[in-house]
Amino acid sequence: MKRHLLRTVGQYGAVLFAAIVLNFALPRLAPGDAIDYILPDEVAASLTPAQRTEILDRFGLDDPMPEQFRAYLAGIARGDLLVSVRFGRPVTALLFERVGWTLLLVGGSLALSTLIGAALGFRSAWRRGTSTDTGALGAVMFLDALPPFFVGTLLLLVFSVGLGWFPSYGALSGQEVEGLALVGQVLQRAVLPVATLTIAGLGPMYLVARSALVGELQEDYVLMAEAKGLTDREVRRHASRNALLPVSTVALVGLGTLVGGAAVVETVFSYPGLGRLIYESVLSRDYPVLQGAFLLLIVTVVLANLINDLAYPLLDPRVRRPRARRA
Amino acid sequence: MTLTDVDPPSPAEAPAVRPAAASTAAKDRRARGAGRTMGILGAILLGGCVLVAVFAPVFTPYSPTERAGTPFARPSRAHPLGTNDVGQDLLAQLVFGTRLSLVIALSAAAIALVIGLSVALVAGYYRGLAEAVLMRIVDLMLGFPFLMLVIVLAAFFGRGLGTTIGVLATVLWARPARVLRSQVLKLRELDHVLAARAMGAPGTWAIARHIVPRITPLAAVQFVRIANIAVMLEASLSFLGLGDPSRISWGTMLYFANARSAFLTDAWKWWILPPGLALTAVILGLAFLGYAVEEWADPRLRRPAPRPVRRRALPPEPPDAAAAPALRLEGLVVEYRLPGSSVRAVDGVDLTVPRGRLVGLVGESGCGKTSIALTVAGVLRPPGRVEAGAMWLAGHELGRPARPAVAPFRGRTVALVPQAAMNALNPAYTVLAQVAEAARLTRNADAATERAHDLLERVGLDRSRHDAFPHELSGGMKQRAVIAMALVNNPALLVADEPASGLDVVTRAQVLKLLVELREEFNVGILMVSHDLPTVSRMADELAVMYAGRIVERGPAATVSSSPQHPYTRALFSAFPPLYGERRPLAGLPGEVPDMTGTPEGCCFLPRCPEGTAQCAEHEPLLEASPAGAGEVACLLRRRPS
Repeated sequence: MKRHLLRTVGQYGAVLFAAIVLNFALPRLAPGDAIDYILPDEVAASLTPAQRTEILDRFGLDDPMPEQFRAYLAGIARGDLLVSVRFGRPVTALLFERVGWTLLLVGGSLALSTLIGAALGFRSAWRRGTSTDTGALGAVMFLDALPPFFVGTLLLLVFSVGLGWFPSYGALSGQEVEGLALVGQVLQRAVLPVATLTIAGLGPMYLVARSALVGELQEDYVLMAEAKGLTDREVRRHASRNALLPVSTVALVGLGTLVGGAAVVETVFSYPGLGRLIYESVLSRDYPVLQGAFLLLIVTVVLANLINDLAYPLLDPRVRRPRARRA
Repeated sequence: MTLTDVDPPSPAEAPAVRPAAASTAAKDRRARGAGRTMGILGAILLGGCVLVAVFAPVFTPYSPTERAGTPFARPSRAHPLGTNDVGQDLLAQLVFGTRLSLVIALSAAAIALVIGLSVALVAGYYRGLAEAVLMRIVDLMLGFPFLMLVIVLAAFFGRGLGTTIGVLATVLWARPARVLRSQVLKLRELDHVLAARAMGAPGTWAIARHIVPRITPLAAVQFVRIANIAVMLEASLSFLGLGDPSRISWGTMLYFANARSAFLTDAWKWWILPPGLALTAVILGLAFLGYAVEEWADPRLRRPAPRPVRRRALPPEPPDAAAAPALRLEGLVVEYRLPGSSVRAVDGVDLTVPRGRLVGLVGESGCGKTSIALTVAGVLRPPGRVEAGAMWLAGHELGRPARPAVAPFRGRTVALVPQAAMNALNPAYTVLAQVAEAARLTRNADAATERAHDLLERVGLDRSRHDAFPHELSGGMKQRAVIAMALVNNPALLVADEPASGLDVVTRAQVLKLLVELREEFNVGILMVSHDLPTVSRMADELAVMYAGRIVERGPAATVSSSPQHPYTRALFSAFPPLYGERRPLAGLPGEVPDMTGTPEGCCFLPRCPEGTAQCAEHEPLLEASPAGAGEVACLLRRRPS
């Protein structure tokens, strides 16, 4: 068990390191030199060659690559991720400011889409071949085929512009409120983006839950559970218990997909999250922010995978207690 | 290791000899699953889009980038979808956008598939370090937010058609790589591939000759899936204004619609809705097609669920319960219904198992034994169906033994030790919990745990092992636990389907010995289904021999084994060497069990019978008193002269 833990953590450490190397290399492989990378276009174009050399020298960008890489690693270790070109503020601070909003959207929709998707999928599997199943399958596949930004726009049209139930813009109203009123305001403005992301995440979850339970229901232990006189509810519990394994994996790994979806949804709802920050940084060529956000995403994804690997034994006794002795 | 040894042939192999008369069209549709309808719908949706893409200029006289009218024009005859903020025709954009979306998605998916397939072949076939490294990269790629990666890559490498396709392919290859690799792993262990490797065939040859052709269908499914994701990603990228700036795709249209706040006026009806629905149509078409192909490849997804059964209270004990046989079956007919054909696995079987006796039911694989076992235990699953027959369990009259009729008695009056009992335990619960759960049917939780401990000890599982999970036990121990689970409520009848299959010889003998002991101790009637004729004939009190869904001979085990009458029984016995006595030549039985989609006239064993005569082809033999003195045999050549 301890060895398993060490190996898992080691593997993910290696993956993380590789990603950091990639993050270091990517901008240096991209067309143009470092000046284009750190400075806005207009400024970069107006520089004389002498000024260019001076800037490169000051930022250590003409140092040999190993030297630069060491400096880059040291920066990461100190939590120092350069300075945003657009905002003129440290990237780390910017990311911290925005990441909370994205966590709210992604966390909320992950929980909702997992619960709804798994419940629907299990129900479909249990009643597979009936009109309940076919109806749910068709409906979920239709929802899944709607691009998130289209869903977001439609929700905006109906509930915000049409019915006026929810505000269409931002995470906060701008008025100074405190306590419960603040919570209410935040929730009210999160409803539509969370709903959009939930619809986007529902499809994969439903399909995995359905096919996992269909698979488990064909297993011999389910037949035995029936034969020994358990009720249908108890039989379903037996099978669902094992079908939860793939569902939990998809939930944690699906985090990545949802974070991706957040970029689009935050744009539709002008929500001040990480996705929108990345998008705006792309438009304004704010590469330091992009690089920092990219790093943050990698760390998140690796962590999600690590949690999944570490949580797996809690669900599966075969991993928790690998065969110690055999009779 | 499936539980049904009668695995019905697929519709393609089995010609419809006997059309299932009672089955309605609705039931056939149910058995076919949703995949077919989805496949057709998907093909229509996609086909429509492809037609629009190919014949784009037919639908509109305008180019998507020319100023064709006044800005913000409402729909009119000249511009059925109106114009956008610079006066470009929205219908032209929609129609030509189809082209762009399909070209980008299909080429990105094709490139990604080639990369993914190559990675799968290298990792799956050559294994080793290459595999370890490649698969870690795949894991990372799969977990990474696709869209973020696409955005960042597009930002670093500039915008353009080539970049978009390249970036999409870069993030999409990992999925097919993972799925196809696991398939390659299976294929490389196939006998002929192993043989080719052993004979020194170079890897590239084995891959090209044996692996690639077999992996193609799965690769096609993957292509559809990633094309689906590619459409969505391209649209998202364009929606963010990061696509190729010189071309207009559906995502680009929505980007401008959003940027010009089209949703604030009713312009959304012709500016936002059409491209959004077009995207949905393509993605849905691809998803439907993907599902249809997947369901076609995995019949499990197609099999309908058994109807849920509510457990009712056990009817009161009939007065003659103790004297009644544990099981009486009359005229049992079981069919497997498939669209277009049906297989009659059990064709009119009568069977009686007295309490405290062991009846062996023997025959080749595919003769209907397991179908009887599952029916009697009340767990026969669709497409299996009890067509006719009557059943009595310990004096209770059940009528036609369909699932719901037997369900109330499961676990209490009739219990099952299934085939492959090693898989009959749920890996997620301890052995004790699983036995106690069964015991709770007739007692409270504490008493159930006590009872479970007692039974597990009785079958020979030491108390220290009761809290073990199934994977921590050996095959023999799991088998014993399953027997304990079956007997925990003192059933009148135990159905044991190949109860010792998959165990080594010594363990098998121990388990069978245990069953014989328990039969007396619990006064339980045992119906033992097996093709291990020598063992069963030694243990059983009575023997019934099945062929092609019927019982062809039965009687006291000693009589049947010492003087078998039916040519089939004789053939079965002469296929095994006797342990004692003189040496006899072993004789195999040529031919196979008929496929039972249709019953021929006359004796069903005739095609393989060494003694068949002309009259056997005309008359169907019935069970009649055997010339051996005891028991019955269904053979025209063994009729007792009357």
